[in-house]
Amino acid sequence: MLDSTALTRHHELSGTATRMPERMTISAEPHIRSGQWEDSLNFVALNADKAAYAELFNYFAPRLKAFGMKMFGNEQQALEMVQDTMLNVWKKARLFDASRGCASTWIFTIARNVRFDMLRKKQSRKDDISADDLWADGDYPELEESSSDQWETMLLSEKLAPYFDALPIAQRLVMQKVYLEEKSHQEVAEELDIPLGTVKSRIRLALDRLREALDDTRS
Amino acid sequence: MTHAVKYHPGMMLMEQYVEGTLAPDVALAVATHIDLCPHCQRLCQDIHNDQASSLAADDAPVMADDFAALFSAITAEPQLEKPRKTQQRDAVTVNINGREFRVPRALSRLANQHGKWLQLGGVATAKLPAGDKMHVSLLYIDKGTEIPNHTHLGLEMTLVLSGTICDENGEYGAGDLLINTPADTHTPHTRADEDCLCLSVLSAPLKFNKGLTRLLNPLQQFFY
Repeated sequence: MLDSTALTRHHELSGTATRMPERMTISAEPHIRSGQWEDSLNFVALNADKAAYAELFNYFAPRLKAFGMKMFGNEQQALEMVQDTMLNVWKKARLFDASRGCASTWIFTIARNVRFDMLRKKQSRKDDISADDLWADGDYPELEESSSDQWETMLLSEKLAPYFDALPIAQRLVMQKVYLEEKSHQEVAEELDIPLGTVKSRIRLALDRLREALDDTRS
Repeated sequence: MTHAVKYHPGMMLMEQYVEGTLAPDVALAVATHIDLCPHCQRLCQDIHNDQASSLAADDAPVMADDFAALFSAITAEPQLEKPRKTQQRDAVTVNINGREFRVPRALSRLANQHGKWLQLGGVATAKLPAGDKMHVSLLYIDKGTEIPNHTHLGLEMTLVLSGTICDENGEYGAGDLLINTPADTHTPHTRADEDCLCLSVLSAPLKFNKGLTRLLNPLQQFFY
């Protein structure tokens, strides 16, 4: 599975001559550049690249153990969690999708799900709630569809509408011209024949009111 | 137009849900809410990133461990192939009172295994096989039905899946999460023209407060 050409290709692709020595540094942690873990995971996925996996392993295994110690308070279970999590990182590397979140989040959710199912198994209730029920799409955090943004905006507008209508008329008029008719503050000031400062302060007041109305609903 | 979700789980519930430390039955209600609420989907994503970044932090305290054997064992394992298409769970529906309701993703496996519907007047409940310390069930309320005034001996979480519930405090539509504690007393009812399906998570039986409805107290296991 792992041949020398795969390794060579890895290093050509990574394009950094210093990568290898950096990885071997034990005393000081190498500088973490952004995208490093995503690259490593992709190499693991493409070539079953053990060197890239070693990078991930050396960095995350001890951190996962510390996390496991915190959550379980027990070394044996912490190690079991490290083992299952890192095994999943290796086996499921091809399922990782960088467009849906960064590598550390992916690894964190795997660890969280492993831990959850370990506790559940201990209670040996196979019909009970599983990690798959609670967290959508297996090891991925909640969906991030492109349409979800749009939907959120729509919901927000709908949610805002009644509060918008309840704004004092002077504020509502300014807000309508700025946000719905997309006019500049200056244009609005001229149209309504009021000072620019008044336009700005009405917008601030209206935004405060809307923000307050929205915050109110989170219990 | 989709109903705008108004009542969300608090930040602490959301954080414990992401962390995986919330009691599973409470987490189920939160997960179902998130399925129905784009706002909390985004929030949940942010909390995931936040918690993961503390796991991955440069200066995380680590102990020296010899993981060499583990490394060799893992890399000797075959890797999984990327699935051609992400599998979509089939839509799961529940049927009650001649109506069919589609349930959110988080409930799809459990709702397939719901217990027998028990009916009492305009109210019906079916247990989900998710009982730990809490009792988890589907709760159906027919249109124009009132549940007698009651107090909660423990925590009552009700997540509206379809329709609207009204009580003294307001109106709750699909996705809205109501949390009642022993300090709360309420008389929920449905609208005259619309029935309602909820997910109910109870940590203790309800206690009915008024007149003859107190006779229901021996029957409260119906709701529990």
